[in-house]
Amino acid sequence: MSTVKIIVAGEGGQGIQTIAKVITNTAAREKQNVSYIPSFGVEQRGTPSIAFITLSDDEIYYPRFNIADIVIVLQKRALLAVDQNIDPNKTKVIFDSSTIDSDLVKKYAHSFGIPATKVAQENFTAKSFNLIVLGKLCRLLNFNPKDVWLEVEHSLGKKLKDPKIAEASKKAFEAGLNSIFEVKKFSNASFSPATGSIISKGYDKTAEISPERCKGCGICIMKCPVGALKFSDTLGVFATPIPEIDLEKCIACGNCLRFCPDGAIAVSKDKVKNKK
Amino acid sequence: MTKTMPKCWNMKSKPHLFCPGCGHGITLKQLGNAIDNLGIQNKTTLGIDIGCSLLAWNFFDISTVQTHHGRTTPVMVGFKLMKPKRVAIAYTGDGGAYAIGLQSIIHAAYRNEPVTVIVVNNENYAMTGGQMSPETTVGTVTSTTPLGKPDRYGPGLKGPELIRSVAGKDAYIARSSVSNPIQLMSTLKKALATQIENNNFSFVEVLSICPTNWKTNAKASFDRLFDLEKYYTLGEVK
Repeated sequence: MSTVKIIVAGEGGQGIQTIAKVITNTAAREKQNVSYIPSFGVEQRGTPSIAFITLSDDEIYYPRFNIADIVIVLQKRALLAVDQNIDPNKTKVIFDSSTIDSDLVKKYAHSFGIPATKVAQENFTAKSFNLIVLGKLCRLLNFNPKDVWLEVEHSLGKKLKDPKIAEASKKAFEAGLNSIFEVKKFSNASFSPATGSIISKGYDKTAEISPERCKGCGICIMKCPVGALKFSDTLGVFATPIPEIDLEKCIACGNCLRFCPDGAIAVSKDKVKNKK
Repeated sequence: MTKTMPKCWNMKSKPHLFCPGCGHGITLKQLGNAIDNLGIQNKTTLGIDIGCSLLAWNFFDISTVQTHHGRTTPVMVGFKLMKPKRVAIAYTGDGGAYAIGLQSIIHAAYRNEPVTVIVVNNENYAMTGGQMSPETTVGTVTSTTPLGKPDRYGPGLKGPELIRSVAGKDAYIARSSVSNPIQLMSTLKKALATQIENNNFSFVEVLSICPTNWKTNAKASFDRLFDLEKYYTLGEVK
């Protein structure tokens, strides 16, 4: 009989474990044998969050496995973490093509893109992208969408109390159901975290912001005495917006440097030649 | 040339493992600045405790040892006895310092052992999900006190004041806060200088923020920190 081994991987807080619970609960109601174990590190935030799911008609002897049949990855760092569980020739890799660069999945024979973050940001709310993924996964596993949605309502419960949010979530889920995989031609990874450091030069100041370290806590914005900092569209390492600086307003007091817990921002005064 | 990080930070381990907006990052930045200013990067050993403080295991480019529940202080005391020329820093959270490891700290202070103890107080057990700690103030909602901390569990343990009553007369004991990094840095510098120059016990408590378990954003975290500072008065206790 058939056994399906699934790995869902992403950043903590993306709803990975909720997707896994919904899938396993739905399968269990259809009298399949299921197992599900979550896996993450010691940190409270920012660790790749991975769910190991086995659905089978036979008995399941051990919940952990090495090579998965289907791998769903939603962030770049998670892809690096589950790389060891992917057989390049057999495993189906489903990735969020709007956050993961398609170069990274070239080595896998069966890779399918789904621009969930992009679709969610443009049509629904940013957080509903996991429902799009869930919808697609439901179609892939041939589950009855009505059963899955009942399970979603059951597990999200409180969050869907507002009828507006409930309707938008339902639409996102249906969009996922009807979405088509991108094969070979993937969309642009426009929502991937930025790399390098952003250096902006003013008349007598230089500012450096490093998206590789910024976690988007917003302390620098709150502590800036002149309001020179605000959130931009660029994404940092946790896929959260990072600040941008207005050097016209900045007085180079150094508060952002002092308060930043991550060492991601600094402003320095330059010596000005030919001063009037 | 702009510099976003102190020199003694380990660049390879960044981004570090703490949550977004964690007070540990601000404290360790100022500790790094203090170490840089004193020029003691090559002769410092950092001991870290169980809890969120253990996430600093590869934070600095200096020798680090991770110990068990509340036993950071005695380990660093033993280390200092064997290597008197090294600078021993015990870095611990409020649970490790005041709940599990209190007797170790009291005896280290009583014997005037030349180590520097830095306690980051964010008034909960942050790594396990924000349970009530001895430092939690009355009425604070945590995951184990959903209706607010009741009176009978005490108003919040004042660690530095407690240790003052047993510490030797030359010890340096102070309380600082992440709301004022400049003052925090000078306090840490003074504490390290007490150990290096005078061979005395030094103790710094740092009031910190925990946006993840307090469930607050940047502004609300600092507002709550200012409320905390009204109860835990800042300054040199001794």
